[in-house]
Amino acid sequence: MVRTSRDLFEGRKIKALWVDTMNHIISWKRDLFWSACLLMFVSVIGVAKNWHLVSSSFRGDLDTLLEKHRTERRQSEYKGIKTVTLDEAHALWQAGQTLIIDARHVQDYQELHVPGAVNLPPESWANLTDPPKIAGLSRQRQILIYCSQESCDDSLKLASKLFNLGFTQVMAFSGGFRAWDEAGYPVDTGS
Amino acid sequence: MKRAIRLIPALEWPLRPVLGIGLGLAFFYAGVQKYLAPYEFAEAILAYQLLPKVLVGLTAAIFPPLEMAVGGLLVLGYLAEAWGRLARSRRTFGESLPGGMSRRTSLLLIILQLGVFILVLVITMARGLKIDCGCGLFMDRQVGFGAIVEDLFLLGLTAWLYWMESKDVPESKAVLESVIPGRMKP
Repeated sequence: MVRTSRDLFEGRKIKALWVDTMNHIISWKRDLFWSACLLMFVSVIGVAKNWHLVSSSFRGDLDTLLEKHRTERRQSEYKGIKTVTLDEAHALWQAGQTLIIDARHVQDYQELHVPGAVNLPPESWANLTDPPKIAGLSRQRQILIYCSQESCDDSLKLASKLFNLGFTQVMAFSGGFRAWDEAGYPVDTGS
Repeated sequence: MKRAIRLIPALEWPLRPVLGIGLGLAFFYAGVQKYLAPYEFAEAILAYQLLPKVLVGLTAAIFPPLEMAVGGLLVLGYLAEAWGRLARSRRTFGESLPGGMSRRTSLLLIILQLGVFILVLVITMARGLKIDCGCGLFMDRQVGFGAIVEDLFLLGLTAWLYWMESKDVPESKAVLESVIPGRMKP
């Protein structure tokens, strides 16, 4: 069979494609090696910088450490905002004199919420004087706000905003809906 | 349509550094946010309930500097190439410098990180957990389709940038040039 210049060119193209692919693989392996080196380097820096966090985690003290830092941060960020425990929140709900605000997203509120709570999701906080749920309220009205769980700050953020608007009896339930639900207290569904 | 296809190679040079620098800056910024608040980041990792607590501290310590390093090196790598082109008018100047190496290494690490993020987000969504994502540029965002779509888009972009970088590996060019003379000439 006679090989034409076109066949030779096609052969070269296939060889070029093969070499190209092989070079991609070689390059990929070499990049992986340098990636591992970079990962090790930043790991050493990261662990050295956050040794307290890493060692606490290894010792099993992570929860205590995070709780301590969370409390310190909240005390400085949300000065003057009163927080209540699960039992206190339940007592306030039972008394029925407190406006309870759910600061979670609409979808979460509709799924389950504390009975009687009104929803003020984060997207509505831009203009808090507008929502009819707040507009006509007395500034001395007792308000209890909760969000999803202990680690979320939304209840404190909203409490701080309302406090700055002149509401003097604002409280945040730090345990959040998760603590309420896990305690087996009543819950409601829908809007 | 044909005109648009012809425009793609012409746009490739300005498009790659612009997208690469944008990606690098986004990762650097996301890393800085977490680096400055390691305890909050550890809480965000805990909320996913995927890692044993023993490893949470280590993960919270490593990810932020990793994001900062890959983001910073990516930006520096593209700036080195842009500087090389402007200074010497040579198309391949930056590729033969550590700039090219740092770009490929950074892009590969970004691909691996995005892969992990997507996997974690999908598992979390499948488990029905409604928690703050603690990811990307917006720490307050919740886990959901938005975060997954954003990460998939970034993964596609990073994979494309990495593939284009690999095509520019100098030895690859040299071998191809020897096989088909003139193939690699602009």
